[in-house]
Amino acid sequence: MATLEARGLTVTAGRGENVPKVLRELSFTVERGQVLGLVGESGAGKSMIGRVIGRSLPTGFRVASGSLLFEGQDLVGLPADRLTGLLGDRIAFIPQEPLTALNPVLTIGAQFGEHLERIGVPRGERRARAAAALKDVRLRDPDALLDLYPFQLSGGMCQRVLIAMAFASEPALIVADEPTTALDVSTQATVVQIIRRMQRDHGTALLFITHDLRLASRVCDDLLVLYAGDVVERGPAADVSAAPRHPYTRALQAANPPLAGTDRRLVTLPDQMPGISRFTALHGCRFAPRCPVADPTCATAVPPLEPVGTRHVVRCVGECLAKAAEATVAAPALVRGDARGETVLTVEGVSKHYPGKRDWLGRRGPGADAVKGADVTVAAGEFVGVVGESGSGKSTLAKLVMGLEEPTSGRIAIDGKPVIANDPASREIRLGALQMVFQDPQSALNPRRPVERLVTQSLEAPHHATTEAERLARARSLMLETGLSPDLLDRYPSQLSGGQKQRVNIARALCVTPRLLVADEIVSGLDVSVQAQILNLLLDLRAARGIGLLFISHDLAVVRYLCDRVMVMKNGDVVEAGPTEEVFSNPRHPYTRALMAAVPPEDPTVPWPPEVVES
Amino acid sequence: MSPRTRAALLRCARNPRVMAGLLLALAVIVVALGAPWIAPHDPQEQDLLNTLLPPMWSAGGDPAFPLGTDTLGRCILSRLIYGARVALYVAFVAATGAMLLGTVLALISGYFGGWVDWIIGRLVDIWMAFPPVILALILLVGMGAGVNKVILAIVLIGWTRFCRVIRSEVIVVRRRDYVAAARLAGFTHVQTIVKEVLPAVLPLVITLFSLEMGIAVIVEAIMSFVGLSVEPDVAAWGVMIADARTTMNQAPWGVVMPVAAIFATVLAFNLLGDGLRRALDPRLVTSRESL
Repeated sequence: MATLEARGLTVTAGRGENVPKVLRELSFTVERGQVLGLVGESGAGKSMIGRVIGRSLPTGFRVASGSLLFEGQDLVGLPADRLTGLLGDRIAFIPQEPLTALNPVLTIGAQFGEHLERIGVPRGERRARAAAALKDVRLRDPDALLDLYPFQLSGGMCQRVLIAMAFASEPALIVADEPTTALDVSTQATVVQIIRRMQRDHGTALLFITHDLRLASRVCDDLLVLYAGDVVERGPAADVSAAPRHPYTRALQAANPPLAGTDRRLVTLPDQMPGISRFTALHGCRFAPRCPVADPTCATAVPPLEPVGTRHVVRCVGECLAKAAEATVAAPALVRGDARGETVLTVEGVSKHYPGKRDWLGRRGPGADAVKGADVTVAAGEFVGVVGESGSGKSTLAKLVMGLEEPTSGRIAIDGKPVIANDPASREIRLGALQMVFQDPQSALNPRRPVERLVTQSLEAPHHATTEAERLARARSLMLETGLSPDLLDRYPSQLSGGQKQRVNIARALCVTPRLLVADEIVSGLDVSVQAQILNLLLDLRAARGIGLLFISHDLAVVRYLCDRVMVMKNGDVVEAGPTEEVFSNPRHPYTRALMAAVPPEDPTVPWPPEVVES
Repeated sequence: MSPRTRAALLRCARNPRVMAGLLLALAVIVVALGAPWIAPHDPQEQDLLNTLLPPMWSAGGDPAFPLGTDTLGRCILSRLIYGARVALYVAFVAATGAMLLGTVLALISGYFGGWVDWIIGRLVDIWMAFPPVILALILLVGMGAGVNKVILAIVLIGWTRFCRVIRSEVIVVRRRDYVAAARLAGFTHVQTIVKEVLPAVLPLVITLFSLEMGIAVIVEAIMSFVGLSVEPDVAAWGVMIADARTTMNQAPWGVVMPVAAIFATVLAFNLLGDGLRRALDPRLVTSRESL
């Protein structure tokens, strides 16, 4: 008997005749000891399955038909008390945000104890059981750890605690919803390794939900690719990643910049995944409007799942499958602009020290060095990447460059003119040359401004005597340049998708024609296919305007794709810097090598993840 | 109108507290503005033959004086209607003053932070530690009685509430990237505050304003009760209670009626304020609509 089996599971949103199907006829099986990867971008419905199991569907959503069998019993129709008995015991969850999943006012020991009490461990044994479980996930000194509070641990450690809790009851099934998305690359590798090992040792079935196809193909036995609530492709992980057959799976793979090999321009799909409200208008294949090889029949009838190999099925019609191969192979080579202009930004030996808090005698604590003597130069038309994990000081560097923070020592010059943080003259120099694109478009766009007034916000500043007509014209040309439809001018940020918001964010920075953009993690919150669109947009902007870019990211593959030069930061130190190709093909510093090893490689023969590092 | 504003208005319109408070407050406002046309008598007109009449529906009542008369034979209804003018005048002007003073200081304090924030914060602490009734009495004794002095007293007491609450909201907004983005777009500090920060805290300001109006109505009633507010020849609710309290045993309605008027007005503003808080507070709204 399969541990988990979905049979034609359909989830609808809202009531009435023609309601959108958020999940359509979903079928899969997970056997004991197997890992099934659910892969899809945001809006694909991948988290719905976890919600069906936990019976926590959003209001208005319900299972319309089909069944979800856990060890033979249907979870959909199960009485609530019997389901509650299963959850946390036979079925366990590993959440996405480890820090918010733990109660900040209880110690790890208290929370672990509560969980063990729930699964019937007698009081006297709980502490020893908890310590043993923490040792199992390779956490050092588990006894001391039990007396700590969650905020005293790193995100990776919290996630390991949660993994230990999930496995404590020897569950038959574990649902892991994006368990590594909130973590750093190297922590991700460790956490994945631990989940995989625990799962193998305990013979647990695992449902691994992720947006990262590359990661999923390394972790899972089987893959199931979802698009807008439909299964588009399902099969053994090795087959799906080596030879994806559905145009969407191919596009996902092609949108992911590689960490090695030849540079090709990323192939992007037009537009984005349709929202739930648009589902009812799509009668056939929901991917058809974006499909590079769609033919008229796709849009009228839902194609069946066709077998293409052993256990490998694809929801696509025969002719398209043949053409899909042609469409993605023809990706043009990446053109790098090598015309370097004059140096715009010079940063010499810049440091930032945050003084510690004063104690009651007025003595200062040790404080922290966020950046220790960084040197960077960026010329017009040059893309420079800054890579590092969280806490490496890369965002502080961006703030120092933009004048949002005052450096403790060192010198920053723009066009050869030295600038300090906040005096009017420095501000004037910066405004003419530099602009910043913020990380989180949600927070960076004032929700009370329509798009037109957002992208041309700079024109409201003093010294810009523009008429409304000029302003509108400027907004239109900026929209055109960043690939946004002029129809969006009257929209507000809440009415835009994530990718559109990030484009507006970029358009706003371009308004006063800067020569250098500082971009802090601008693609980290985006889906892979939207990320590819934004990356290509930045390359196009360089070709059209010759702007320079200081690109801050934790994603090595993105930096490799985009940047000419790269610097690697660790704890405020620049540990390695040089031309991108050189650094990536021959990393010298052990930290750079460790970072690169933590990224799942393209080549399926390379073993990954690497051995767990004790922490 | 942005969809956010529209959604907020819609939430207000659907909120029973907001609508009940708004209707009640509007009724009081209409009565106050239309006093000369609505009131059956002049509020100071004495009819010494008809003193201490009960309301018209009880035995011995006179339809010419619908809510009865006081010790001097003045029409209670007419005095209530004219009293609403005093109450609303004080409520509106005092709440506006407290709002302006408190909000401006809160914006400066929360936006600039550092020592500016420290000084304003300590000022509020010291101010709030001083008993408000004593402060008001000292002011009124020192400057003499009068409606405008009462307003000044309410402003000087009420601004701290605005300052405290709005400052914490300004600090939240200040940390949003769009405020930094506005500075990088070349906005001056004043522009950034007015165009980016203020609109975000405006719902909270409106909510506090409504609650402050209710408080001002009560303070005015207390002050006119002890004779420190309006001139003796002006009808105010507090004055009416003070006048009627000596004959409370024979004619309880002389006290009950103005108390009911104060009750209804304060209830209106509090319902409105509480409803607006529920409808506009981003934390309460998102928790309900995020799913």
